[in-house]
Amino acid sequence: MSPQTSLHDPVFRAYFWIVLTSLTIAGVVLGFLRFVLKKETASVFKTYWSWILIAGIGFVVVFLGRIPTIVGVTLIAICAFKEFAHASGLYRDPWMTGAVYAGIITVGITSLISDPLGAEHGTGWYGLFVAVPAFAIPLILLIPILRNRARGELQRISLAVIGFVYIGWMFGHLGFMANARNAYGFICYIIFATGLTDVAAFTFGKIFGRHSLRSEISPNKTWEGALGALAVAMILPWLLRFSLPSFGPWQLILTGLIVGIGGQLGDLSVSVIKRDIGTKDMAATIPGHGGILDRIDSLVYVAPLFMHMTGYYYPLR
Amino acid sequence: MKKWLYDSARDVDQAATDRLRQFPREPDMVIYGLRSLGALIIRGLLHIYNHFEIVGHQNLRTNRSLVIVANHCSHIDTLCLLAALPLRKLHRAFPAAASDYFFQSVPRLWAAAILVNALPFARQARVRESLSLCRQLLANPGTILIIFPEGTRSTTGEVGEFKSGIGALVAGCDVAVAPCFVDGSFQAWPKGKRFPRPRKVRLVVGRPRNYRDRGTDKIDFCAIAAELRGAVNELRPANGSR
Repeated sequence: MSPQTSLHDPVFRAYFWIVLTSLTIAGVVLGFLRFVLKKETASVFKTYWSWILIAGIGFVVVFLGRIPTIVGVTLIAICAFKEFAHASGLYRDPWMTGAVYAGIITVGITSLISDPLGAEHGTGWYGLFVAVPAFAIPLILLIPILRNRARGELQRISLAVIGFVYIGWMFGHLGFMANARNAYGFICYIIFATGLTDVAAFTFGKIFGRHSLRSEISPNKTWEGALGALAVAMILPWLLRFSLPSFGPWQLILTGLIVGIGGQLGDLSVSVIKRDIGTKDMAATIPGHGGILDRIDSLVYVAPLFMHMTGYYYPLR
Repeated sequence: MKKWLYDSARDVDQAATDRLRQFPREPDMVIYGLRSLGALIIRGLLHIYNHFEIVGHQNLRTNRSLVIVANHCSHIDTLCLLAALPLRKLHRAFPAAASDYFFQSVPRLWAAAILVNALPFARQARVRESLSLCRQLLANPGTILIIFPEGTRSTTGEVGEFKSGIGALVAGCDVAVAPCFVDGSFQAWPKGKRFPRPRKVRLVVGRPRNYRDRGTDKIDFCAIAAELRGAVNELRPANGSR
């Protein structure tokens, strides 16, 4: 991955046009709803502008190459954990948050450096990358011991562990995929598919939504929206088969299930956390979306499952 | 099992810029990191570009709260005073900055809130509120307030009249007040110029004073302000620029 290869890479270029077309179509539909049917669309438009911004930044970062992609994913993970820490109150403990930041940065570094025993340079140290939690969690557990404290520490430890494993390490898989031979295909597909599935769930829910999916967790999600999104996610891998070249039918079905079910479970998992804390959004960083964690919640769930599914059938390199 | 109590930050539902605007700001490791990094870069630049020099460094060494009072000719003054503090005290040092100038436009807000950890000070209306906020901060030992009692940057390089608010802040309050003189900053970056110039800048720190025995009426406030102005002016080096 580098600016030169991305310019000539057919997959990257195809995704550029696909995303541009989808955003244009979405814009035309929204414009039709607003100006012809005179529907109230102000909040959707805000979300839409933010999508354009996200797509633009995403393309620039992936275009720039492997290192900017990994660094970008690490920075997003840091910001997302920051939001989680502020919402859950963990931020009041600088030691715990510091340990988690150190862990997230370690995840980024292991994706960047190469395996000392590996054959290829600049392909990430897979073994250490997968093992980072085995080092980060002892570090988190070490902090109360060093500070000689026990009262209320279980809550802090739990928050720090979930913050590191879920936001730092699991989301870090997206960055690690930049090391794959088919990096453009995997990264572009996974981001585009989870994004589109989210939008599909929202749209189907808005149009057909009758039955609440999980009333105690997220009252706005409906079974109709979830099934519609699953249908879209199952069709997408066949339509975008060019970006998953070595995949057979079985792998394409698995990809669809991971994105279609995993994405929505990721959304609901973060909703459980938000619901218990008692906030609607983790933060107000992205207009119309909420916090960064609210935006990447599906991706966090999908990226590691997809990467390890792929890695089981075909080695990443 | 007892219910966990989540102590969310007060600002979770606010956009990033609004978060920077409010004060006191919530502790944030990312911002602390950026600020420390920025401070290192600024210190390096000051030393190379302005041959920055500190005289009377030992006068700032204290673990208690401290008010630093200095003359004000340019934005460099704030950076110099911050550069005189140890890095670990950076996040507890608050330069009072005009809320109408620094806390409106977004680039200035970033510089003020992230880089220098500024305290929004209302200099036109609600001065009293700002002063009581300052006093609350000082009650916490280890707080450092950086105040330019002239209230604005001098356009001549001379030390202007000190506002009586500085007297109101420190009168009858057991807190050390260190007068400082920043020499050469007017030549280095006068008001109205876009970029600083490579002129020598020197910071002279005077002996800390204490005004705990002073009365708390307007005459005392004005007297303290005048005394502090005299103390700052006395620090002006004899062979200084001008």
